[in-house]
Amino acid sequence: MEVIEKRQDDISIMRLLGRLDSNTSPEFEQKLFAVIEDGERSIVVDFEELDYISSAGLRVLLKAAKELKRSQGKIVLCSMKEYIKEVFEIAGFVSLFPIVPSVGDAMKKF
Amino acid sequence: MTEGRISFELKNSLSELKKVSKNLELFGRSLDLPQRTIFKINLALEELVSNIIYYGYVDDDDHWIKIAISLEGGVLVISLEDDGIPFNPVEAREPDCGCPIEDREIGNLGIHLCKQFMDDLIYERRGNKNIVVLRKDVEEI
Repeated sequence: MEVIEKRQDDISIMRLLGRLDSNTSPEFEQKLFAVIEDGERSIVVDFEELDYISSAGLRVLLKAAKELKRSQGKIVLCSMKEYIKEVFEIAGFVSLFPIVPSVGDAMKKF
Repeated sequence: MTEGRISFELKNSLSELKKVSKNLELFGRSLDLPQRTIFKINLALEELVSNIIYYGYVDDDDHWIKIAISLEGGVLVISLEDDGIPFNPVEAREPDCGCPIEDREIGNLGIHLCKQFMDDLIYERRGNKNIVVLRKDVEEI
């Protein structure tokens, strides 16, 4: 998996490529929490090129969302493949995260 | 109707999960299964296998987890066998998926996802082995 980070209009955009599974989630967790610890409160995670997610990936996102909730921050997810969105629905995560079709839509959520 | 079977073994190490995705890709390609079907099987297997690796063993020895996947008559049958401590995923506690974010527990989702993605999950303790059999009708995925 690869995480490509960029900052635009005071928002951190993290683009995920490949697979977010038990092996790769620790790397994403470390990068996401480094951004939060740097004081970032507006984060977009772009799923366009993510092909796979398991509960290990969901766990990292939930942990980050809890942390941001405490500090008045927000995490917005975008560009998910339909079968990945289904995982979020089954896990009951669609009520915990704004999930929008594109990065542009995500930027408007802040 | 296309039919096929694949079987392989994994050591009790998370890095072995790569074998699951590699084998599933080959299996899926040979049977022309859609990507979302491969995805669901991969997810179900990752959740069960990682659970066995995290919680199944009380020693530091190497253990083997046996996996077999077959497609017969439009039904995918996936079986797992491990020699870890008894664990029945059928009886695993369901997470509360409706509560607000402050109360959502971190974790405990894997077996839930696996059950939701499969049509059937059967568990049996046979000797010192856990046997789990998953079924999924491919017509509907």
